[in-house]
Amino acid sequence: MKRLLNLILPLLTLIIAGACHEIPQYADNPRGNFDALWRTIDEHYCFFREKNIDWDDVYARYSPMVSDKMTQEELFIVCAQMLDELRDGHVNLSSSFNTSYYRKWWSDYPQNFNERIIEEHYFNFNYRQTGSVIYGILTPNIGYMRISSLAYSIGEGNLDNILYYLRTCDGLIIDLRDNGGGAMTAVETIVSRFITERTLAGYISHKTGPGHDDFSEPYPYYYEPAAQGRILWGKPVAVLTNRSTFSAANNLVSLMKLLPSVSIVGATTGGGSGMPFSSELPNGWGIRFSAAPVLDPLGNTTEFGIEPTEGCAVDLDPQAALSGHDTILDFAITHLSN
Amino acid sequence: MKRLILLSVALLAVICSRAQSDSVPPLRPVTAAYMLQAGSSSVADSYLSPLTYRGWSAAFAYERMQAMKFDPDNWVMRLDARIELDRGRNYARNATSWRIDALFSWGMMHRWRLTPALTLAAGASTAINGGCIYNPRNSNNPASAKLAWTVGATGYAAYNLRIGRLPLTLRYQPDLPLAGLFFSPEYDELYYEIYLGNHDGLVHFAWPGNRFAMTHLLTADLHFGATSLRLGYRALTFSSKANNLVTNIYTHAFVIGISGEWLSLSQRHSLSRDARIISALY
Repeated sequence: MKRLLNLILPLLTLIIAGACHEIPQYADNPRGNFDALWRTIDEHYCFFREKNIDWDDVYARYSPMVSDKMTQEELFIVCAQMLDELRDGHVNLSSSFNTSYYRKWWSDYPQNFNERIIEEHYFNFNYRQTGSVIYGILTPNIGYMRISSLAYSIGEGNLDNILYYLRTCDGLIIDLRDNGGGAMTAVETIVSRFITERTLAGYISHKTGPGHDDFSEPYPYYYEPAAQGRILWGKPVAVLTNRSTFSAANNLVSLMKLLPSVSIVGATTGGGSGMPFSSELPNGWGIRFSAAPVLDPLGNTTEFGIEPTEGCAVDLDPQAALSGHDTILDFAITHLSN
Repeated sequence: MKRLILLSVALLAVICSRAQSDSVPPLRPVTAAYMLQAGSSSVADSYLSPLTYRGWSAAFAYERMQAMKFDPDNWVMRLDARIELDRGRNYARNATSWRIDALFSWGMMHRWRLTPALTLAAGASTAINGGCIYNPRNSNNPASAKLAWTVGATGYAAYNLRIGRLPLTLRYQPDLPLAGLFFSPEYDELYYEIYLGNHDGLVHFAWPGNRFAMTHLLTADLHFGATSLRLGYRALTFSSKANNLVTNIYTHAFVIGISGEWLSLSQRHSLSRDARIISALY
């Protein structure tokens, strides 16, 4: 009996001691919060390799700026500047007084979009609207739908109504300029109207551990055509893009670009192909960062944006805009009319 | 000789009487208890946040015990069904997390009546539990789902005593899953990816080294006639690690409930006055 206890007790102690798994904790002070932020990004961010970022070097440069005497505002600035090194529109630091954004992914480029020009000069404010979609028929007989956001799913019934209304048009323009993205399920809803068979939609991957190279094998995923009875679109399509076409909208463009009879018209999109995760710091500040890369159907990253179809790269001419012309839209109308 | 005959007749009478008694199936009342729990919780799930969320814990539990038909003196079964709800706040008190968990466990124990008052029991149980931890602050990782099927060790020590004229039963019942299967997403895997069909690496073999989930239950059943008032304490210590994701849950809760022994009566089978009553717990 004593021998048995001698065996069981150490084993039980070992199991119980080994069973309590720790999550590293940081102090709620400037140093602790800075280190927690750096560590969270170090272990979870997914684009270090693609962007050739030496995150240890970033720590070495920013860590000396942290002092326990600094204010929350000062700490926020240092942390936000450190996050800007990631050059990622999906990375934010949120406090009660500010939210950091890396804006250069779009602010360094022409905007190429003015909603008012289309509403006033192309529709004379006489367009139809359902949810986040406005739509109508442009001269000469080209359908137009502008999807301003994918944050909310577009209803199947709404899409049926839109496509039915535009059914007699010779082509369709889908305007995704300034669409900052939203839900991937909204992408599926839209793409399903433009495919007639099960279609490879891309690959999704995720980090499997804290190492910078710990990734799962990219997993292929497929979209099905819309259910029987729904309206599909088979005529030519032009998708309008600008640098602010981002995230889920960027993903939508990557799929549409590979479909037959679809042209991407405008400027290179903003990218944002990493599905963002959230975390937080000891002081309660929220963090958002890219954690799960999504690749296009060819297996390529679209983090840096998607170029327009060859021969369809167009900018909005500011001079023409003054006289009510959207040169990207005009190009698409001509492209589809031909 | 006459004395020997009398003794033999008496012995035969006792044996016959015993045989007659044994031929009557014993009555095995169900010891059932309905319990409410309230206490504190400490929840950390690294899929959602590295921070620990502390707050309240509440639960509703049902427990049912009964002596087993095949050997009612020595074996008892126990069914434990529980639904728990925790709400916690982070250290900065600017975010909230919720945890909901449902558990259904069934076990069988061998018991030893060491003295008329003290009973020890040990056995095995199997459990299914599922739920999730939800942090509405998060964008694409707002919830961490929990699902497990386990087999483990359980047992109890029960002691009957009186305080003044009030009889009561004290019990300590630990429960420790030892093996099984449990679900965990991969490190930074989106549930959207799982929805798309990637099910690799989601199911793990559980053992106390990667999924330690010990429950301690202390109860005092105060017997007021047919119904008892149950007062107690339940503690859960949970720590899991899979796919580099760690979950730690600690709850401490005060238990209050009613318990009692119930007999199912059938019109077809009338009660025999000779039937023994074998309680599962008291």
